[in-house]
Amino acid sequence: MIGTPRDDERFEREALRWLPDLTRFAVSLTRSEVEAEDLVQSTFLIALERWNQYVPGTECRAWLFTLCRNHFFRANERAKRSVATEAPELEALAAAAIHAAARRDGLEDSFERREVLDAVDAAIASLPVAFREVALLVDVHDHSYVSASAVMGVPIGTVRSRLFRARRLLQEKLLIHARDAGIGTRADNTAPRETLS
Amino acid sequence: MTQMLDCDHVMRQLWDYLDEELTADRMEAIREHLTICKRCHPHAEFERSFLRALAKARREHSNPARVAHRVRSALVARGYSPA
Repeated sequence: MIGTPRDDERFEREALRWLPDLTRFAVSLTRSEVEAEDLVQSTFLIALERWNQYVPGTECRAWLFTLCRNHFFRANERAKRSVATEAPELEALAAAAIHAAARRDGLEDSFERREVLDAVDAAIASLPVAFREVALLVDVHDHSYVSASAVMGVPIGTVRSRLFRARRLLQEKLLIHARDAGIGTRADNTAPRETLS
Repeated sequence: MTQMLDCDHVMRQLWDYLDEELTADRMEAIREHLTICKRCHPHAEFERSFLRALAKARREHSNPARVAHRVRSALVARGYSPA
C-alpha cells in the first residue's frame, strides 16, 4: 500500500464516527478526563498515520480500540502479562456458588441497590489490568467476544477465561461492599431500602 | 425441537448465554430451560442484575465536543483534509 494516497474522506466516514465511543472507552481506561483527551488524540493521530494499513470492510471500531488500548499500555508501561485463570466453565460454576451465598445472606438484590451501583466503577478500577480491560470492553462498552479478542490480541478462549474471572472477582468485591454497607439479613438493617427502578 | 439440557450444562454456559454468544439452537435450549427451572431461573436473574450494574459504569466525558474539536485540530495539523 506504500505510495497509495491516503483516503481522508473514508477516514472521516469510517474512523471519526467512532470518536464518541473511543472517548468513553478512554475515560474508562484512564479514569481521568485530561488523560483521556490525550489518549484519544494520540489514537486518532496514529490511526491517520496507519490508515493505509486498515483493511476496508473489517471492524474499524475494534481496530481503533486496539490502537487506543495498545497506546495506553505502552504509555503506562503496563505490558500485558500472562495471568492465571481457571477454565471458563469452572468460573461460571463459581458464580453459581456466589449466588447461593448471596441468597443465603439476603444479598440477592444487591446489584440493584444504589450503595452497590456507586461502588462498581471503583471495583472495576481495582481489578488487575488483564481482567479490567476485558470487563471494560465486554461489560461496559458492549464488545462481542470476537471484537474483544481482536482488541486485546488474544484468542477468544482467553477472553472468556479472563472475562468470567473478572466477573467473579467483581461479584466478590461488590458483595463484600454490600455487606459493609449494611445490606443483607445478617446486618442490622432496619432502615427502609432504597431500590432503583 | 430443541435439545433438553440439565442444570449443570446451563450453569456452565450461562455467561455465554447472557452475552448472546451461543448458537441459535443452544440459545433457545437454555432459554427454554430457564423458563421452567426453579433453580436456574433465579440464578440467571441474579447474573442479569449484575451485568446491568456493570453496564451502568459507562462514563461520559463532560465535554465531548471539546475532545472532538481537539482531535480534528490535531489531524488537520497533520495534513488531514476530508473535503
